[in-house]
Amino acid sequence: MRSGDGHLAIRARQVGVTLGGRTVLRGIDLEAKPGEVLALLGPNGAGKSTLLKALAGLLPYEGRVEIDDVDVADLSPRKRAKQVSYVPQRSLLRSALSVEEVVALGRYVHGGSFGGMSKNDKDAIDHALETAHADVLRDRVFTQLSVGEQQRVLLARALASDAPIVLLDEPTAALDVGEGLAVLRLIRTLAARNHTLIVVLHDLADARSTTDRALLMKEGRVVEQGPTRDVVSAEPIRVVYGVRLIENARIGFETDPERGAT
Amino acid sequence: MRLYPLLFLLLLIAGVLAVLVGSGDLTDPDLRDTFLKLRGYRLAAAFLAGAALAVGGVVVQGLFRNPLASPSVLGTTAGASFGGQVALLAYGLAGVGSGFVVPEMIVPIGCFLGALGALAVLLLFLRVTQDLLALLLTGFVLSALFLSLSAFVTSIAQETWELGRAVVSFSLGSVSGTGPRQLSFALPLIGAALVACWFWGRPLDLLLSGEEEAQSMGANVGAVRWWSSIWVSVLVAGAVSVGGNVGFVGLVVPHMLRPFAGTKHQRLIPASALAGGIFLVACDIVARVIPSRSEIPLGVVTGLIGAPLFLLLLIRLRRERAYA
Repeated sequence: MRSGDGHLAIRARQVGVTLGGRTVLRGIDLEAKPGEVLALLGPNGAGKSTLLKALAGLLPYEGRVEIDDVDVADLSPRKRAKQVSYVPQRSLLRSALSVEEVVALGRYVHGGSFGGMSKNDKDAIDHALETAHADVLRDRVFTQLSVGEQQRVLLARALASDAPIVLLDEPTAALDVGEGLAVLRLIRTLAARNHTLIVVLHDLADARSTTDRALLMKEGRVVEQGPTRDVVSAEPIRVVYGVRLIENARIGFETDPERGAT
Repeated sequence: MRLYPLLFLLLLIAGVLAVLVGSGDLTDPDLRDTFLKLRGYRLAAAFLAGAALAVGGVVVQGLFRNPLASPSVLGTTAGASFGGQVALLAYGLAGVGSGFVVPEMIVPIGCFLGALGALAVLLLFLRVTQDLLALLLTGFVLSALFLSLSAFVTSIAQETWELGRAVVSFSLGSVSGTGPRQLSFALPLIGAALVACWFWGRPLDLLLSGEEEAQSMGANVGAVRWWSSIWVSVLVAGAVSVGGNVGFVGLVVPHMLRPFAGTKHQRLIPASALAGGIFLVACDIVARVIPSRSEIPLGVVTGLIGAPLFLLLLIRLRRERAYA
């Protein structure tokens, strides 16, 4: 196991976000611990992605976000990024960087300004590519990859930073079923390595299968919070989404053990 | 062939040609030294200006995440040129600045302030919209604005014959009149800014993924923007003060180099500096050998190469919808 893996909790206290005069989030409390996957659930416009960005320090917010009792607002961008990595839904990168170069960007938090990569950097990049099953893509151009492949590379980029807390914004959106399962399995792998994970998810079945606890949001507030099994249950789902939950009604999928990860 | 050996070979060829080619007669022993010296300064000025403008192009392309950006397209060169003219005028008419700097520094300082002002307007505008065409249009409007302001400055300067000549010849732009004193000011300025840009290479790489992702990876986006703008302004100011208003170098050179040097700034910046220098030295040779009654301004040659390339790039990018 690499030195940076695991062991930091992230906590939000009364976090609120106002964008362009409109209150998007209000009074959010949450905590995620090492080894745990916390799902952020809710209908479109509930404020899940906004909350994730606030936790990553990418938006101005009220209230406090703490990492092991230290206020994140007191940290420099570099120190914060050493502890929290953020995986966007899609990257805005349009330049022709190779996959290896993209993953190397994650090492910025550890490097000086000089161009060369240390042995440590190279190891971290190799390890991250391997963990995210992206080592075969290493020399490909990032912008020419499929959405699913790009998602794995973005995950590797986040892992390369060795940040113990990983925030993911809808990592399975726009992926096909195989790619999606691979990403979900990777999330469990990271939790097993004692990372702290917060994941925005649309698919409630994915949330039930992959996450330990969940935060169900509606219109910028938390409606329900607790073990995912309890949160994704009949009553809260009816209240938030206006749909009825039918247990064991959907067909399910799993990766073929003989073919391994896609 | 590897990139750097090739670039050094090209530099050698361009350097030799730059010294040998021209209208002066090198067989006359009395004049030979003078000619060689003048061509040497001219070679150095063209190389420095080319290196500065090419790297300025690389940095603004990263800063605005846009391969069509370059100091001339964005109006930064025009801003620097205008700043230089104002400085010349203020110094000539009222002796502004004569108390605290030597005369040779007046123009570079004016150029720097003009370039920085032009970039500041663009960065402010970028907060409102990230749209490609809006950015290019703003650059175009800035260029046009500085051009008309320059005309105004020129008309004021006409009141004195000497000053009028100085302002006009400065705005036309040429490396032919550059002397050792101008070079000795521009060299450390451009050299320092080139090194500084290289040091900012890694955060500039992060910025290629946009502001939010760069920030999430630990970049201090505000600081990167601010400092990169300063270094670009220094580069453009240095280039304009030795070579006048030369366009498109920052567009053409990085574009030609990316297939060989890649996109990473710490690789692209040194290669662009070298290639930019070679490119402008070559353009200067072309300007000398094309038969015409007086010498063709350097900016005309770079414009003839750069403008069509810009249009081709624009069409290709719109087709790929990479920067819609």
